[in-house]
Amino acid sequence: MKSKILALLGSTLLTGTAMAGGYQVNLASQRQIGMGHTGTGLNTGTSSIFFNPGAMAQARNGVTIGASFITAKIGYQAPESNKTIQADNPTGTPFHVYGVYGITDKLKAGIGVYTPFGSTVKWGDEWNGRFGLSELSLQAIYVQPTLSYQITDKLGVGAGLVVAFGSVNLQRVLPVQNSNGDEAKIEMDGGANTTVGFNAGIHLQASDKLSFGLNYRSKINMEVENGDVTFTNVPAAAGANFQPGTQFSAALPMPATLSFGIGYQASDKLTLALDISRVEWSAYKELRFDFTKPVAGNNFSANARNYEDVYIYRIGGEYKVNDALAVRAGAYLDKTPVENGYLTPETPDADSRGLSVGLGYAFSEKFGVDASFLYINKKERTDLANLSGGVPGTFKSIAYIPGIAFNYNF
Amino acid sequence: MKNHIYKSGMLALFAGVLLTSCDPEIDGPSVSAGTQLNLTKYVAVGNSLTAGFGDNGLYREGQLGSYPAILAGQFAEVGGGAFVQPLFTEAQANGSGYLRLTGFTSTGSPITSQVTTNLARREQNSPLLTKFTDPINNLGVPGIKVADVKTPGYGSVQGNPYFERITPDNAALQTYLQRVQQSTDHTFFSLWLGNNDVLSFATAGGASASASNQITPVGVFESNYSDLVNALTANGQEGIVATIPDVSVVPFFTTVGPQVKQSLTANNVPGMVAITGAGQTRTQFATAQINAPTNGVLFTLTSAAYAPLIGTKTGKYWRDLARQVSPNPADPNIVRATLQNLLSADKGYAIDTTQLFGVSAGNPWPSALLLDVAEQTLVKDATIAFNNIIKAQATAKNLAVFDANAYFNGIQSGFVANGVAYSPSFITGNLFSLDGIHPTPRGYAIVANEMIKAINAKYGSNIPKADETQYRAVLLP
Repeated sequence: MKSKILALLGSTLLTGTAMAGGYQVNLASQRQIGMGHTGTGLNTGTSSIFFNPGAMAQARNGVTIGASFITAKIGYQAPESNKTIQADNPTGTPFHVYGVYGITDKLKAGIGVYTPFGSTVKWGDEWNGRFGLSELSLQAIYVQPTLSYQITDKLGVGAGLVVAFGSVNLQRVLPVQNSNGDEAKIEMDGGANTTVGFNAGIHLQASDKLSFGLNYRSKINMEVENGDVTFTNVPAAAGANFQPGTQFSAALPMPATLSFGIGYQASDKLTLALDISRVEWSAYKELRFDFTKPVAGNNFSANARNYEDVYIYRIGGEYKVNDALAVRAGAYLDKTPVENGYLTPETPDADSRGLSVGLGYAFSEKFGVDASFLYINKKERTDLANLSGGVPGTFKSIAYIPGIAFNYNF
Repeated sequence: MKNHIYKSGMLALFAGVLLTSCDPEIDGPSVSAGTQLNLTKYVAVGNSLTAGFGDNGLYREGQLGSYPAILAGQFAEVGGGAFVQPLFTEAQANGSGYLRLTGFTSTGSPITSQVTTNLARREQNSPLLTKFTDPINNLGVPGIKVADVKTPGYGSVQGNPYFERITPDNAALQTYLQRVQQSTDHTFFSLWLGNNDVLSFATAGGASASASNQITPVGVFESNYSDLVNALTANGQEGIVATIPDVSVVPFFTTVGPQVKQSLTANNVPGMVAITGAGQTRTQFATAQINAPTNGVLFTLTSAAYAPLIGTKTGKYWRDLARQVSPNPADPNIVRATLQNLLSADKGYAIDTTQLFGVSAGNPWPSALLLDVAEQTLVKDATIAFNNIIKAQATAKNLAVFDANAYFNGIQSGFVANGVAYSPSFITGNLFSLDGIHPTPRGYAIVANEMIKAINAKYGSNIPKADETQYRAVLLP
């Protein structure tokens, strides 16, 4: 009986969940954010390293550094409740650095550092979903050395090797209470192994006005090995279920993205762009943690995710007021990869609508600044979360993302 | 040039500050009491469950988390009024005292100890509790049966100490029904009573000859219950009544039996011999009958200490009983005399402790530790009859019903809510407190939400549910 009772204490750990869902962060360039994050069909300068290495061959030598400041607000209401809980998310700061250097007129080398995936959400230790998630921080940093070659006046190709680093920190409350009534907690923290992938693209200047681009960023599987599992407030009676020194391993796919873009130079002053991306989220089947010591009697925890592939539709435009000043606007629709029944508090995802504006100002031939502001509004979504081990209820997310970048050309 | 940087930077900053102050709104269905309900004054009538009893005691934390208190808190969201409970003071927060889990034995049985500090006893060694005679909304009285509601003096110092506690000194002989009838201005009520009319018989293993441990006759139940309902609906008030769960689904009866069954099966023991009823009569049952859905027998939680002794030559149960019932437990000679009487064939139970405990006619399993087939049939039949009366009254007065019987039968295989697994398992199931009969505060919150569901369905209201995770389950050492 001992083994039975004690083994069952806190065994509900495995009904909980972990990590992020639609955790892609598309904030790769302030200029392009201003244009609805289009750019696959355009020559976007140094940021072609990300948007389309095929267009990088046309970029001027230069360096760009920029960052966005994400304030994400997530509201939650439990089923049949009238209380709205707000997640207390810290400001996220995805950043990017790009540098391009021409080896010859036609062959250019570049390097980019950017953060295409990540998620930070903090629900706290008191909300009703705390046994699913109290806090998550997920980061991925890509470093991408790139070569691009202009085959003809019209056609450029490029490819880069992506070296990815990452880390994850996940905390949740365990449903066991000590004699003071304090609930136990688990924290999983680990750095991902360095993984490689690629980013390749073709850019075609079909006419003076019309250009096309095709870009593919490969899937990268982030793997954590020997991450640390830390338990706190575990009552002695349940100690055997939550042993100190436990380590975990887990894998999370950063899905492949295929994008097609069109650029249209409507006039000397006006550039229009349209992008369609397909994100192969179906790579994310389940979230699984393997433990070196049994946690609540189990050597692993697995929760279904079964994401589906989605398309993102983007439009944007830039109007050059004069030689120095450009104003931009854009919009996009990002369909959610999370199917009904699979919503989780890590990423309470829903179809999202993005609206953006931007400003660019060139202080000289060499130095310019881009500022952007993006507003994301995800549809209010109610889900039973019965297939993902998530938290049932209604979620609504909005985000305000100002950003600034500096360009220097030489 | 600098100006431009400044301007665009400030613009972005300003826009950010402006917009970040807006939190997303969720337009849930608007909560309301609907058109049929008036929740301004809610009274709760019932027994230990209504009082917030748990861990074999009534104490302040349990009272604060009683299902009527939780209901009243949710009613307050839709126009409900104040709800006063006869709370123990902070200084006497431990009330009657209660069980605390202090560890597990080497064989894994839970070890509990009685909390004996900060009690609300009026005098040492007296069952009487500090009085609370202000007007109250929660009339829950632990231990009360439907059979008791017309008993004069039930609230006297010789009566039920929990009712005595809330009974004014100048009305010491007032019956519980009269106390309920005093409430005329309530607008809503809950009535969950009748559990003890079967439970006190069942938890005593059907072994007690005492009148207070018998099953209430159906006629008495019907008459008393309808008087209560009539009193509560005298001015056409709305309310909710609850049925009586099957005793066979609470951990008090489902924890020890399966262990005994496993051990007997492993040792190829085909069955056991037990005493049935209050006398010496022996009965036999097969191992397969233990906790079986039909023709089953149930072991009480109180038998946990004796279950490991099955098949040994022991008189431990009778020695313990002798100490308990002896007129002078401090005098070993008197205790020994009591034991001789218990074991004797003419005055007691005809026990030969040199025979094998639980598997011989000479040293049978005690009746008080077992609800055998015949006893269970009595309990089942009474439960069905009482529940039919409760539902008929609800139909007659157009009241909401929380069918606790159906609910607890329906969750036997467990369920998950907000990432926590629940089941009727003792300690690990999160629903039942250390006495194996009363819910944990978490369990009470889940019950309150089920009641809200029933009220909303009946009256077309939209009373919001409580967050059950804010209430504790079993605390572990």
